[in-house]
Amino acid sequence: MKGKLACAVLMAPFFLLLVTVFLIPTGTAVWLSFFAADQPGLGFGPESTVFVGLRSYGAVLSDPTFLGSLLTVVLYCLLYIPLMVAGALTLALLLDSGVAKLRSWAQMSLYLPHAVPGIIAALIWLYLYTPGLSPIIDLFAKADVQISFLGIDTVLPSIVNIALWSNLGYNMVIFYAALQAVPREVLEASVVDGAGPVKQALRIKAPLVRGAIVTVGIFTLIWALQLFTEPVLLSQSTPMISARFSPSMYIYDAAFTRNNYGLAAAASVVLLAFTVALSYGVTRWTNRKAA
Amino acid sequence: MRLSRRTLLAAGLTAPLAACSTPQRRGAGGPVEITFWSALRGSQQVVDAFNSSQNRIRVVFQQIPSGGQGGYAKLSNAARAGNAPDIATIEYPQVPGYAIDGVARDITDLVTDRLKQKLLPQALKLTTFDDRVFSVPLDVEPMVLHYRADLFQAGGFEVPTTWDEFAGLARTVRSRFPDKRLTLFPTDGGTQFACHAWQAGAQWFDTSGGKWRVSLTDGPTQKIAAYWQGLIDEDLVFRNAGDSKQHDAQIGQDRVITRLSGAWDAGAQMRARPAQKGKWRIAPVPVWDEQVVGTHGGSTFAVTKDSREPEAAMEFIEWQCTHPDALTARLKSGTSSQYPVAPALVEAGAKAFPGEYYGGQDIYRLFQQEADKIRDGWVWGPRMTATLKVMQDGFAKAGAGAGTLIEAAREAQSGTMPDLLALGLSTEEGTR
Repeated sequence: MKGKLACAVLMAPFFLLLVTVFLIPTGTAVWLSFFAADQPGLGFGPESTVFVGLRSYGAVLSDPTFLGSLLTVVLYCLLYIPLMVAGALTLALLLDSGVAKLRSWAQMSLYLPHAVPGIIAALIWLYLYTPGLSPIIDLFAKADVQISFLGIDTVLPSIVNIALWSNLGYNMVIFYAALQAVPREVLEASVVDGAGPVKQALRIKAPLVRGAIVTVGIFTLIWALQLFTEPVLLSQSTPMISARFSPSMYIYDAAFTRNNYGLAAAASVVLLAFTVALSYGVTRWTNRKAA
Repeated sequence: MRLSRRTLLAAGLTAPLAACSTPQRRGAGGPVEITFWSALRGSQQVVDAFNSSQNRIRVVFQQIPSGGQGGYAKLSNAARAGNAPDIATIEYPQVPGYAIDGVARDITDLVTDRLKQKLLPQALKLTTFDDRVFSVPLDVEPMVLHYRADLFQAGGFEVPTTWDEFAGLARTVRSRFPDKRLTLFPTDGGTQFACHAWQAGAQWFDTSGGKWRVSLTDGPTQKIAAYWQGLIDEDLVFRNAGDSKQHDAQIGQDRVITRLSGAWDAGAQMRARPAQKGKWRIAPVPVWDEQVVGTHGGSTFAVTKDSREPEAAMEFIEWQCTHPDALTARLKSGTSSQYPVAPALVEAGAKAFPGEYYGGQDIYRLFQQEADKIRDGWVWGPRMTATLKVMQDGFAKAGAGAGTLIEAAREAQSGTMPDLLALGLSTEEGTR
């Protein structure tokens, strides 16, 4: 009995937060997506809140700007996730192999950017990307090289770069921790069998931290689908990032520029479903390969 | 948006504060207090003049950022929280949106015949929907051609009166002065493009059938898009954002020799570039076949749903829009050149406007002549900020060589229809 009480007390904060910051907002969004304050005809009459069924969903899914934002974020994921996983894993393997000197220094300096809040990171990079402010662009200009970080084709890679800078160190730490758990006798056996350090990294260590790779992949995917802060700040310096650049920006724009809460709510639910479906798909796919 | 190190920081740090607003204060026993939000320059002077002219109503003024810089978000958020000011300043394109959202109150019964008679009817029509008035126009801004008289003289150019002449002159300017261009096609200028389309006879939105008929790519718009696309493709005009450091430099370094904008821009130019005093003159905007023009800019005043003193609010609005002292107070601030919606005020405007910047040219006489040529029947749409933003995204791409202007208009239409659908409005779509 006493144990149950302690259990309830200790778990209460979790459930309280789950309800207030997740379930209630999600429920509100779902409710908002099915109801709207409507006025018939031209819309200048008195409002009345009515059930509108799937109307808001129809509107979102027929909006080329929303579908365009989904496409953008998919492209972003295709570019970002492989680079992130490969980059973080490579760094972790290098640190683990003992090739790197000053290991703890390297670890800290790689991890440090993760401690910088996303909005500050975006501001730092905005400064480095903006023509007229950026010392990097000035430097290239002196060498007669014209570069634009915020052009029509470079803006997505520029955002990927910010995300990599912020998160590479964090994921590297996860991989590095997983590598510590690789049994030493397996590694010694591989050395006896004649594996060099490269072969050992690719054939022995990497497959043994497969679980960590999948975890990092899924977390990165979920994070990437919510792309918002970086493009919002960069959009101040370039017209190539529209107000509906990513799904999250589309939702923000629908709610706060267009005052269209039904549309924003429906888009949020669609994004949630998209994220859940994609994460589930990835999990299933990797599990089947494991089996 | 102009960007410096400071605005860059400010953007990140102040955005969350924009939603905060001051609560309304009410006088107890004393004069009726009403609150008034505006981004218009010279508003403080107008409010001071009104407050000292009588003692029944006291207006509490708050300067807010312009619409696109957060002013509209602030108003929407305040209205959602139930504490919008008594009077809000809304530009013409945003009036139907705020009317549909119920932020702008239906003031049909408060607009007296006396007030109606004082206002230019084509301006009041732009704030009237479904036979109901939702705001009172302050100024109406026919597009005019601002040009550098000194550079025109040096080049031996004549002021173009038709768009064909304008294109011809654009070629001449570029061949004579390779670093200069006749004008800018502003990639952030959705309202400017709308004004060109308006002049050519386009009807982007039409409510006559009891539903919103949307046709952003009708015949006249296609003509306008093709015309400017031609100038862009031939590299005869600059194509960057108008509200940018780049364009500041183009004007400041004498590289752009005309500007197409509303009458209000005369005052903005005066304030922004005092060094170019005496170099600019203003001419009628070039025309197609008919002697008609569109408007570019202009503001209106709405009484909001949250106002508890709509009569007092209306009294101040009427004074602001029709009393000569109001216009005089605004123009004396030296930063405005608004063209009043009340024709009776033109005289006062001409007198109060400091004319030296334009070499003594009687610009108010010109504005008056142009205001009479405003094409009748234009209607703004229910989500104009968003519609124009999508269009401008397309313009920016077209300016960078990817896509065309007419595609931008098409994207704006397809990005607008879902919005209207989700709002529950009856809609009909013209051909894309």
